[in-house]
Amino acid sequence: MQYIILSILFPIVAGLYLLIRKESENRKTLLLCTGTFLIISAVLVIMALCLAGGGMFTLFNLTDKLPIIFKIDEVSVLFSVMTIIIFLCAGFFSFEYMKHEEKEKRYYGFYLIVLGVLIALCFAGNLITFYLFFEMLTLSSMPLVLHNGSREAIMAGLKYLFYSLCGAYMALFGLYFVERYGNTLTFSAGGVISEQAASAHGGILLLVAFLMLLGFGVKAGMFPMHAWLPAAHPVAPAPASAVLSAVIVKAGVLAIIRVVYYIFGSSFLKGTWVQTTWMILILLTIFMGSMLAYREPVMKKRLAYSTVSQLSYILFGLAVMDAGSVTGGLLHVLCHGFIKAALFLCAGAIIYMTGKTRVEEFRGIGKEMPLLLWCYTIVSLGLIGIPPTGGFVSKWYLAQGALSSGIPVFDWLGPVILLVSALLTAGYLLPVTIKGFFPGADYDYNSLRKKEPSALMTIPVLILTILSVAIGLFPGAVVQYLSQMIEKII
Amino acid sequence: MDFIQNFPFFSIILSMFSGIISSILPGKAAKRLNTAVIFVAGLLSLILLIYLIGTGSSYTYMMGHFPAPWGNEIRAGILEAGMALFFCIIMLLSLFGGRKKLNEEVEEGKHNLYYILMDLMLSSLLALIYTNDLFTAYVFVEINTIAACGLIMIRQNGRTIEAAVRYMIMSLLGSGMLLMGICMLYDLTGHLLMSNISEQVALLAASGEYRIPLLVTIALMSVGLAIKSALFPFHAWLPDAYGYSTVSSAAILSSLVSKGYIFLLIKIIYRVIGFEIFDNSRIIDVLFVFGLMGMIFGSLSAIKENDIRRMIAYSSVAQIGYIYMGIGMGTAAGMAASVFHILSHAATKSLLFIAAIGLTDVSGGSRKFVDLTGAAYRNKWAGVAFTVGSLSMVGVPLFSGFISKLLFAQAAVQNNGKMLPALIVLGISTILNAIYFMKTVIRIYTPANGTGSCVTFRSMKLYAVTLVCFIVLNIILGVSSQPVVDLIEQGLAMFS
Amino acid sequence: MIMIVILLPILAGILVPLIPFKKRSHMEIFLEALVVLNSLLVWYMLLHRAESIFTLANFTGNLSISFKVDGMSMVFAGLVSALWPFATLYAFEYMTKEEHERVFFMFYTMTYGVTLGISLAANLLTMYFFYELLTLVTVPLVMHTLTREAILASRKYLYYSLGGAAFAFIGLIFVIIYGSTTNFVLGGVLDVEKIGGRTNILLLIYVIAFMGFGVKAAICPFNSWLPDAGVAPTPVTALLHAVAVVKSGAFAIIRLTYYSFGTDFLKGTWAQNVVMAITMFTIVYGCSRAVKETHLKRRLAYSTISNLSYILFGVTIMTPLGLIGALSHLVFHAVMKISSFFCAGAIMHQTDRHYVHELDGLGYKMPCVFGIFTVSAFALMGVPGLSGFVSKWNLAFAAVESGNMLAYGGIGCLLISALLTAIYMLTIVVRAFFPGKDFDAGTLKGITDPNWKMLLPLFVFTLFIVLFGLHSAPIIKFFGDVAAGIY
Repeated sequence: MQYIILSILFPIVAGLYLLIRKESENRKTLLLCTGTFLIISAVLVIMALCLAGGGMFTLFNLTDKLPIIFKIDEVSVLFSVMTIIIFLCAGFFSFEYMKHEEKEKRYYGFYLIVLGVLIALCFAGNLITFYLFFEMLTLSSMPLVLHNGSREAIMAGLKYLFYSLCGAYMALFGLYFVERYGNTLTFSAGGVISEQAASAHGGILLLVAFLMLLGFGVKAGMFPMHAWLPAAHPVAPAPASAVLSAVIVKAGVLAIIRVVYYIFGSSFLKGTWVQTTWMILILLTIFMGSMLAYREPVMKKRLAYSTVSQLSYILFGLAVMDAGSVTGGLLHVLCHGFIKAALFLCAGAIIYMTGKTRVEEFRGIGKEMPLLLWCYTIVSLGLIGIPPTGGFVSKWYLAQGALSSGIPVFDWLGPVILLVSALLTAGYLLPVTIKGFFPGADYDYNSLRKKEPSALMTIPVLILTILSVAIGLFPGAVVQYLSQMIEKII
Repeated sequence: MDFIQNFPFFSIILSMFSGIISSILPGKAAKRLNTAVIFVAGLLSLILLIYLIGTGSSYTYMMGHFPAPWGNEIRAGILEAGMALFFCIIMLLSLFGGRKKLNEEVEEGKHNLYYILMDLMLSSLLALIYTNDLFTAYVFVEINTIAACGLIMIRQNGRTIEAAVRYMIMSLLGSGMLLMGICMLYDLTGHLLMSNISEQVALLAASGEYRIPLLVTIALMSVGLAIKSALFPFHAWLPDAYGYSTVSSAAILSSLVSKGYIFLLIKIIYRVIGFEIFDNSRIIDVLFVFGLMGMIFGSLSAIKENDIRRMIAYSSVAQIGYIYMGIGMGTAAGMAASVFHILSHAATKSLLFIAAIGLTDVSGGSRKFVDLTGAAYRNKWAGVAFTVGSLSMVGVPLFSGFISKLLFAQAAVQNNGKMLPALIVLGISTILNAIYFMKTVIRIYTPANGTGSCVTFRSMKLYAVTLVCFIVLNIILGVSSQPVVDLIEQGLAMFS
Repeated sequence: MIMIVILLPILAGILVPLIPFKKRSHMEIFLEALVVLNSLLVWYMLLHRAESIFTLANFTGNLSISFKVDGMSMVFAGLVSALWPFATLYAFEYMTKEEHERVFFMFYTMTYGVTLGISLAANLLTMYFFYELLTLVTVPLVMHTLTREAILASRKYLYYSLGGAAFAFIGLIFVIIYGSTTNFVLGGVLDVEKIGGRTNILLLIYVIAFMGFGVKAAICPFNSWLPDAGVAPTPVTALLHAVAVVKSGAFAIIRLTYYSFGTDFLKGTWAQNVVMAITMFTIVYGCSRAVKETHLKRRLAYSTISNLSYILFGVTIMTPLGLIGALSHLVFHAVMKISSFFCAGAIMHQTDRHYVHELDGLGYKMPCVFGIFTVSAFALMGVPGLSGFVSKWNLAFAAVESGNMLAYGGIGCLLISALLTAIYMLTIVVRAFFPGKDFDAGTLKGITDPNWKMLLPLFVFTLFIVLFGLHSAPIIKFFGDVAAGIY
């Protein structure tokens, strides 16, 4: 139990320490510190996962009725493992990348704080703890977005801040009502709304649930409040974008999982107007995200729109509320996390080595950085959904779950949209590969140089690529683990 | 009959005689005589008051032992004695406060004239308070008018003469209407003594004969006295008269003279017509409405003014509106509130005029607000006094104005129909008062750059002492008003 | 005892310009000692409260000037006396750059006594009396700098306040007539029989009185005096317009609603809906104007307007829970807002910069001040872990519990306001700490954090913000007892 606290506090304190201490002349010491901190944090998290057991642990009472509780369940395990892996990879990547940015100390400081907060979110045991750290997440990740200090970065950072806060407050509105009408705020599989509460106050509770979905959906980039994503990603440093797209937005997903399955309960929401409206929004987002990505010339922004779309895949799985689709959704959490992180790191490496940000400038990149572009290609295939990558498995489960769910219209509409989106995904990811490796006859081959980035950058990308394929090849263990959990909540 | 019961008569006669004697006395002696007379009159009233509180009832006093319906009568009760006492105090203090200015503004040779007029004014006021028959009332109304005109005019410049003429015209119009009313009443009832008249009027009202003439009579008398006491819309003469005359005159005119007429009106309502009949005639509603309008328009005009004394004069219009609002409510509580406000306003308005003169004197004699900036630092006593007066006008608790407001509001609540208009206008009027008085207070306390002279205590001892007395009076009325209100209510009960 | 704590500051204040202090520090010590002494006396008195009413003087009829220490008094008097010594300390440092200090401190200290008078009043008349006095004694403070703006602002303040008091006066009259007493009794003093069928008139009068007292509490549409009063020196704006004066308005409305008219009479009537709607509108309006405002202190003033209506919203819910919510925000917001204003004052004192766009990059030069400002910003937004979250929680909880649909809308207003608060506070924080690439740090030479006299109060306030945020149970329980009438 103390490991839970340590795993949360250590990164936060470490981050604060980095922020407060004076600038040191020697860059190496800074990197050494940060690296060590990151590794220690990861170790602490693993120890917490192994040793904590299933019990609940109350830290203190914020007010009489609002305790701060931590608990580790299967969802926590899934999300926290993904978080530390991606943070480690992006962290080491950034040691090299941040050479061409300034004020590194500030970056690493907030980076560590965000890690601590994310772990806290994974381990949160009730809605109020979750909300507390959700607000902290927004506040501590904003400096990462506006890091480089240009006017656009500051605007983007503020946009991120305000959208997120707007979402958080919508969720807070719901929190008030859940506290009043629910049995408890603690996450319980199957929900905390009792029978009589559901019948007496059903209308208002449904409305509140919808608001919470919209509110947390802001973080998860759901239409209509997704506009912060494409604004924030291009301006943030690449490793920050990686973390943002791969992990921080998953906090929104985590929130929705908790809200739908552990607070309201699928039985309360299934078949209601909330589910239907939500699904409409999700499908809209999937299609729209992919469409906008297809037409976007700036690479990082294209990837941002891709995130918007892909997150809604996950949300779709959650919204259908069928065992299969939920499995698919959760698998996609993992897969998309690794894949998107890898994609952003690749884009970052390209920017770092060549300074190019637009897709059309990437012609011939394959000749200059073959290893990187191979990794890129593999993960792209994963995102499109081609076997044997992880992305295929998750999409399979999603489609299957949708078809067997029995919901009118959406059971076939969903898979259709998924398919269309897959095509569009291919359309926006593969051109880079193609143009990269086969730049065409009229390309000036003499301008090519060997520019493979250093090991510090390539190895994280490799790790992530391998992981995403591994899930595709050996999904069994993960699916097994997930199905135990899913049984409890459906 | 007790000796004390002669006192009203004594006071009136004493002041008349001193007026006559003063015509042959030089200025200084006249001044001393005048002061002595007011003082004595006040003392007599005080003793009378104590006596009356002891006996608990009023008495009638026949002058010259002529029986009704031809003789003259005086009637003295708690209310009358109290009013007489108060008027004497205010008159005395006002004279003290304005003494220095009087000496500056009026020629040496005319001083005794001034004190003659003062004596006559005193006698007429006392007479109006004590009289019990209409004939005497009218005679002294005329004397009062003439004395007042003289008081305005005594400081000779173009403005005052114009003001006096205007005052005279309006006043005579009022007196004329009053006279017509009295004549008609005599025709209808055959009496001049108030108690006898009221019996007859009651009979007439019951029988329904002469309904319209009665109505007209009431209207004439009310309007006549309303004109003389500057009720809206008959107030046009007031700002000039108060604004330009010498300060003692202004103080006494605004505090006492108009109130004397109002008191006469109250007397007529209670003793001549009878309260219920007056109420039924709906004239009372007209008075109410005009009172409300006076409150608003008086204050609005005051806000527009650029001259401090005219501003204070317009404020009087508003305050007289308050009094008529109270009368117009038609309840005993309303009447009591009005009487209290007569006292309160008398004290405060005199204070304001006298303080204002102190402020203008240290600003090079100018009355414009622009020049008055920072005056309070040059004449500290006047500044404080003016602030106290303003706070009382606005109705800040601790001062008499607050008690007046309280009484008016309480009276208003008890009356169904007139409650909301009264309360709302009361509220608006407070805001308006706050605007122009507080603006002035802020201005006189805003430091200015070194124009104007400074005064010290030593150069104006009498003035400062007067101001302090006024302030004390105001605070006494504000803090321990309960005995006064009780006395007023007692007095009203035995009034009719 | 009660009279001592009220009169002591008034007398001390009057003495300040009269005693010829040789050195400024003597005056400081004298004043600070007296203020601290007075605060200690107040707290002693609150902890050992006597049950009885102490009557100073009797007016006409059944009206009197009386004082009493009950639950509400404890809250407000406790708050005011805890904050005043710190504010005085801060003012000493701040006023070194202004003139006419003696007069300033005279009125500043007198205000302390008058505010205590309001809090300790036992009946509506006494409270009204000190309420008017508060206006009079604070006008010279607003006017202090004697610039044209200051004089206009003080005039506006005066007119609005006196006007509001005039209408509140009408409420006073009605309570006198229709109440069994003017004393404050939890649950109200209205005599049902006397009212008879005139309920609607009384409700109308309640609304009028609410608006009247509400002028001081800056509800729409009578709020424009507050931003203009920002022209006064910061200690004035902070203490008076974020704590004493405006909270007196809120306090008066609480007394009016819960202790004079009584919530049983008012709940469920159209009057409740009207006043609740007004507060909800003000919540959003205040924040919207704050976002658009570029002058730092005016921005905070608009924020105050909005936050005061949080308190009033709680009051208009008219349940004990609503009162708890209102009281918690009364206390917590006072601490949060005074620290924001003091930070702003420190900025203005050290750098002479008044506008938000001039604050770029200052976070690194004045880390303490901006750090504390950030904490107060988070607290105002309602980040959990700080006091603002707790008070918002209590307000929302009361609203949900009441089952009143309008109140649900009120929660929405609270949250919209939270978002807007984030916008207008965090843009300042971001500017200060993340000034942007093309920022020239050279323009900030020589700027440092202010000295201990200004920093100490700031630290203490921040400590309380965090303390109340994490460990609010005892004080909330206390509010619950007050609302239940135990005190």
